[in-house]
Amino acid sequence: MSSVREPEPTPPRTSSGPGRALVAVYGLFALAATSRGVTQLVTQYAEAPLAYVLSLVAGIVYVVATVTLARGTATSRRVALVAVSVELVGVLAVGTLSLVDPAAFPRATVWSAYGIGYGFVPLVLPVLGLLWLRRTRPQPAGSSATSE
Amino acid sequence: MIAGLAWTVSALALVAMCWGLLTAVLDKPPGKAQLLYAAGLELVVVVQSVIALVRLGTGFRPVELATTIGYLVGIVVLVPVAWFWANSERTRFSGVVLAIAAAAVAAMTFRLLVLWVPR
Repeated sequence: MSSVREPEPTPPRTSSGPGRALVAVYGLFALAATSRGVTQLVTQYAEAPLAYVLSLVAGIVYVVATVTLARGTATSRRVALVAVSVELVGVLAVGTLSLVDPAAFPRATVWSAYGIGYGFVPLVLPVLGLLWLRRTRPQPAGSSATSE
Repeated sequence: MIAGLAWTVSALALVAMCWGLLTAVLDKPPGKAQLLYAAGLELVVVVQSVIALVRLGTGFRPVELATTIGYLVGIVVLVPVAWFWANSERTRFSGVVLAIAAAAVAAMTFRLLVLWVPR
């Protein structure tokens, strides 16, 4: 084999390549969940406070994930990891609770029944987000040179 | 909302979605015709929102007024933002970005048709 060492391909930024589409979906959900949460809280807070506050929380998580994934710096990657993890825990917890205890969620949120109202995209999205963050993580300096 | 116009918007949006997915599969960034088509879609979406907002302004009251207004305003933002995002890095994924926005336009138009019921 050639003795010339191939430079390790640098992983793409989180906002690059497929990350472009991922950020677009996150942006869409940021818009949808945030405006849904705000509208519901302003117009009909008393009907289902828990569900509406959760909608807004979900919206904020999506906004943070969108911005940090689109920036793709080292710091924003860390924030994105937290946001996407919270999102995964949130959709699993709210999804399960909404099925086990429907009385607690008289009105639907983005995460009710694992996001059934949004084609289960809310369930798939954090998994894709975590896989993408893993795929794009920076290589530790020098680790690739000693692979043989 | 005008049902005929809403169905037109949905049909145009679904074509834009397929077009975006097609260029992604062919591994090409969106072409000029495709971007012009997206601009045309946006134009029709704006016309639809303006007509609906005027009807709200002249007394029509749907059951969920706040949600309806939110949809009418939100739907206008999608294509321009997607256009900018798709063009700032032109790859096959630009087409996917346009397709996502177009799918959202179609979905929101369907939802608006359902929401457009007098109180």
